[in-house]
Amino acid sequence: MGDLPKGAARLAFDGRELYAGTGPGRSFMVDARCLQGIAVPGAYAHVCALSDGAAVLEFDQPEVQQVRRDALAWWITLLGDALVCLTTLALDASHYGGAITVTRAPVPWSEDPFARIFPGTVVRSDLFCEVAPPPGPVLERYAGVAWPGGRF
Amino acid sequence: MKLAPGDACPDLDLPDHTGRARTLCELASGDPVALLFSRGWWCPKEQRHLREVTALQDEFEVAYARIVVVSIDASEVQAAFRAGLGARFVFLSDPERRWLQRLDLLEQTDTTHRPYRPTAFTLFPDLTIHATYDGYWYWGRPTMEDLRQDMRTISRAVREDFER
Repeated sequence: MGDLPKGAARLAFDGRELYAGTGPGRSFMVDARCLQGIAVPGAYAHVCALSDGAAVLEFDQPEVQQVRRDALAWWITLLGDALVCLTTLALDASHYGGAITVTRAPVPWSEDPFARIFPGTVVRSDLFCEVAPPPGPVLERYAGVAWPGGRF
Repeated sequence: MKLAPGDACPDLDLPDHTGRARTLCELASGDPVALLFSRGWWCPKEQRHLREVTALQDEFEVAYARIVVVSIDASEVQAAFRAGLGARFVFLSDPERRWLQRLDLLEQTDTTHRPYRPTAFTLFPDLTIHATYDGYWYWGRPTMEDLRQDMRTISRAVREDFER
């Protein structure tokens, strides 16, 4: 990965743990707002991604579009006050590597729409900050800035 | 307060359908907005119109525009109505009628519910009003084509690279 676009931050996942910035495992770009501010201690991060580099899709594929629609339609509502933040995991300007939903407490992770693409792993984390959930839209605005980050 | 094209729409601060505090400015987030004041879930005219709007959300989502609905329904009621519609846009809840009074949008003829009078505004990203629609009579509401045309006009004005 080259320079980070504005609004993006790096996160690494080795299949069991998450690391801000670079770290062991696979490197992703996330919505930077999720890592900026006062972190929620001991949050639950449902990481719907794999450490295997072959687990990749294009952002514009219909299934990647649809899980974001589902997130807006009912996943965020279902989480209620438990939601801390959520972000997709961008690999580069056009490739999707997964998503993370962060909550204050255990939630029905089996309902996570992003888990329909890549299976989820629950990771306890002190990295994530509260970000108001997105009202939409479901598309990225700038290449490489993970949804729902970025604006015109 | 009687709002007209060219006026600044107030930055409404209300809980959304999940109960989370929101502001209209935050929801616009730099995009044009269709702001719809609605009587409530129980009104068949609202149900009909919002089904149409829900069908239009696919276009709003790929065109970087927002839909926001305001009603007197409680957040949990809005969440259920929203789910029933299949809507993905945000509902704002004003059961205390806090903004209803300030905006002078009381539905005078429904003394039972005291809801918002159906009114629609299309807004620039800075919440300047582009157009208003008085939907007391159903035909006064914006059609989906009206909303498309308004979003096109606003986007043409605010997106520097709209014309290439």
